[in-house]
Amino acid sequence: MLFLAQLLDHPVQGKTGEAIGKLDDLIVCIEGETYPVVTGMVVRDRRRRVFVPASHLASLSGVLRLNSSIVDMTPFRRRNDEVMLAKDVLDHQIIDITGRRIVRVNDVQLALIGTGYHVVGVDVSPQALLRRLGPERFADRVMGRQIIEWSEVQYLASAAPVQLKVSYDRLSELNPVDLARIVDSLSFRESAEIVAALDDETAAETLEEVSDARVADLLEGMTQERAADILEEMEPGAAADALEDLDDTVAAQLLDKMEPEDAADVQALLAYDEDSVGRIMTPDFVQVPFGTLVGEAVRLIQSLAEVPDPLLSVYVTATDDPQTLLGSVRLRNLILASATTPIADVMDPDVPTVHPDDRAVSAARVLAEYNLLAIPVLDDAEHLIGIVTVDDALAVLLPDIWQRRGSRSFG
Amino acid sequence: MAIKDESTVAPAVAVASRSLSQKRRGLGRRLWPYLLALGPGIIAANAGNDAGGIATYASAGASYGYLFLWVMVVITVCLIVVQELCARLGAITGKGFSDLVRENFSLRMTAFILMSVVIANLGLIVSEFLGIAAAAELFGISRFIAVPVAAVLVWLLITRGSYGRVEKIFLALTLVFFAYVGAAFLAHPDWHAALRGTVIPTVRWTPSYIELLIALIGTTITPYMQLYIQSSVIERGVTADELRYTRFDVIAGALFSDLISGFIIIATAATLFPRGIAINTAADAAQALQPIAGQYAQALFGVGLLGASLLAAGVLPLSTTYVLSEALGFERGVSRSWREAPIFLGLFTVFTALGALVALLPNLPIIPVLLGVQVLNGLLLPIELFAILSLVNNRELMGQYVTGGLYKGFAWSIAVVVSLLSLTLIIITILGWFGVNFSS
Repeated sequence: MLFLAQLLDHPVQGKTGEAIGKLDDLIVCIEGETYPVVTGMVVRDRRRRVFVPASHLASLSGVLRLNSSIVDMTPFRRRNDEVMLAKDVLDHQIIDITGRRIVRVNDVQLALIGTGYHVVGVDVSPQALLRRLGPERFADRVMGRQIIEWSEVQYLASAAPVQLKVSYDRLSELNPVDLARIVDSLSFRESAEIVAALDDETAAETLEEVSDARVADLLEGMTQERAADILEEMEPGAAADALEDLDDTVAAQLLDKMEPEDAADVQALLAYDEDSVGRIMTPDFVQVPFGTLVGEAVRLIQSLAEVPDPLLSVYVTATDDPQTLLGSVRLRNLILASATTPIADVMDPDVPTVHPDDRAVSAARVLAEYNLLAIPVLDDAEHLIGIVTVDDALAVLLPDIWQRRGSRSFG
Repeated sequence: MAIKDESTVAPAVAVASRSLSQKRRGLGRRLWPYLLALGPGIIAANAGNDAGGIATYASAGASYGYLFLWVMVVITVCLIVVQELCARLGAITGKGFSDLVRENFSLRMTAFILMSVVIANLGLIVSEFLGIAAAAELFGISRFIAVPVAAVLVWLLITRGSYGRVEKIFLALTLVFFAYVGAAFLAHPDWHAALRGTVIPTVRWTPSYIELLIALIGTTITPYMQLYIQSSVIERGVTADELRYTRFDVIAGALFSDLISGFIIIATAATLFPRGIAINTAADAAQALQPIAGQYAQALFGVGLLGASLLAAGVLPLSTTYVLSEALGFERGVSRSWREAPIFLGLFTVFTALGALVALLPNLPIIPVLLGVQVLNGLLLPIELFAILSLVNNRELMGQYVTGGLYKGFAWSIAVVVSLLSLTLIIITILGWFGVNFSS
């Protein structure tokens, strides 16, 4: 097995064994192949650093030997699309896709595949650090490695100070909640890079779980068109929270660029206080008029273009006034009843309700006390304007979570 | 019923908060961003006023009268410069200090720099528990009860509680230190002498003077504060354009906290110095408060000391753990809370326990140890300063925001002067072992 830390600073020899310099870094091309190929190396001779293409390389294992004794002495310059292993990968953070976590690269594993050397994995074990810290002759005595295959990691282009083309396909294996945690604990530049690589829908789902301040920064950092697209896909409540953290003029511009319908939903929520029921409620619910049969109600749900998720209850409203709530039917009872039963027979007429100006916490308390999954929200005119689900309420009840914000507060 | 009650209250609250935001618009957009940015800088600078800080300032006043006041002016300027550099690092790179060190220095260098930070922090953890012990003893409670209880309490608070709430409580407690301003006035100091001490630099080339000087620098420009300001700037999402507001925060914080420090020096200079009382116990320092609060002086001092020490005793082990675990790559699995991360929690527990245990060593002289820890911080400061300077001048990292010209020169000279002072202390101490005596 070949590792970067074993190679760095080792003498590089010419064809006949004469000293050329010491290995300063290895250069790889990260885009294209699953295992990035080593395209060249930087050799240091006193203060001069020169580039040696991989084609001049005779062997990496054992002695670093070139197949030629003539080296182009032009000083090394960085070029786009070139990643330096020691400088841009070693000691930097990458995403471990299978482990759903951020890891720091303590060593890089290389292997000869076909005619070229390739990066095949990264070592994230503390032992790798020990080997690099201690004197070289003790390095072999430290046992244990923890290698993650390169095909299982996502490299972040912001680690290198040059323009890079990087594929972010692997990110799609992570779900939005994991992505959000990663986005929250990386630096702004890196998290912006990740969000930029996601499609609008995934980006929206991710940002819903990211801390408000970070979301505001991310939205401000991207083009307004892209920000508006993401906001459209977000839950109106989450979008409202994000917009509230932005500068007023920027928020207005973004609302302007959003689809009028989505913007209206968000604006309606912005009218309510941050910790109020109005802010956490969702306007998406299913309602049926009083006279409906159970079978008709089920067909109505099936015919909806967008079915609310989660769908917990169906709300029954007065036949002549669709905004007056008469009762609710749990989805469970709706499915269990025969199709010809009138909805009134399965309806629970005695539903607790909340007002949009109530504290969000009190809605959560009512949900818990009455063992409900969702609670309807009635405005001053007693009109049904939305529901608060147990999911929304849970987010209110959970205290500030340390583990997500902690690292940035104290790191 | 509960819902009804709250719905009658809610509109009033809503109206109040709306009118506040309107006022914000009316009051001029110029000033608000500056006021809103206040926070990290003030908190960071006030962290210097913890148990060790109080002991050091009180000691400076008690032993040398007003002689050290001019030093505080110089230190304040240095503090502003150093804090600004860190805030800038945080704002431009979006990364914490240990991340940057790991990514930009060699591994051995990283280990050296971070070990110095960890050692400095470990010393501070001990000093915070000593502060708790001293405060408890002012109330007649044995340190063998107070310190373990405090350690467990801190451990529980940090592992189960919400930091935001805890910090607010403790910060409120530290307001007690305002009492020192009053104490300074009521101690009827010789204002003429105080002013002279502030503007005319006087240096004594004795080991104890230089030791105290380094302790003053170490407690005012604490490595921990630099880490704190950098990470809170990141946490707040401060960007390059918003840096000027943060600069204001940094300056306000440094001025505020050093003004308090100055008053502590004046208070002890007016009361303890003329009587030749050197500070040996926390009770001595409490005497400085006697003129203002009489019999309550000790209680007041105890509460303040307890508040500041408890806060720092909680935050320092946590901060140290983050520094170490992130640089070493013990990143916690994102799907797990850090409570389930064994190495992380283990480190945190070890740091807390170690601090508490050392503080419980029998016959440990409190004030000399507190001072010693500040000296240690001062000695290790140059390492951190050079690391910060090297990062802030890295064009690849900072782009157009690298420091330039006079400012750069000034920043480097601070690092050089602090290093020279540290070196002087080391040399004087070593020569002292061989019997060379510098005291006049």
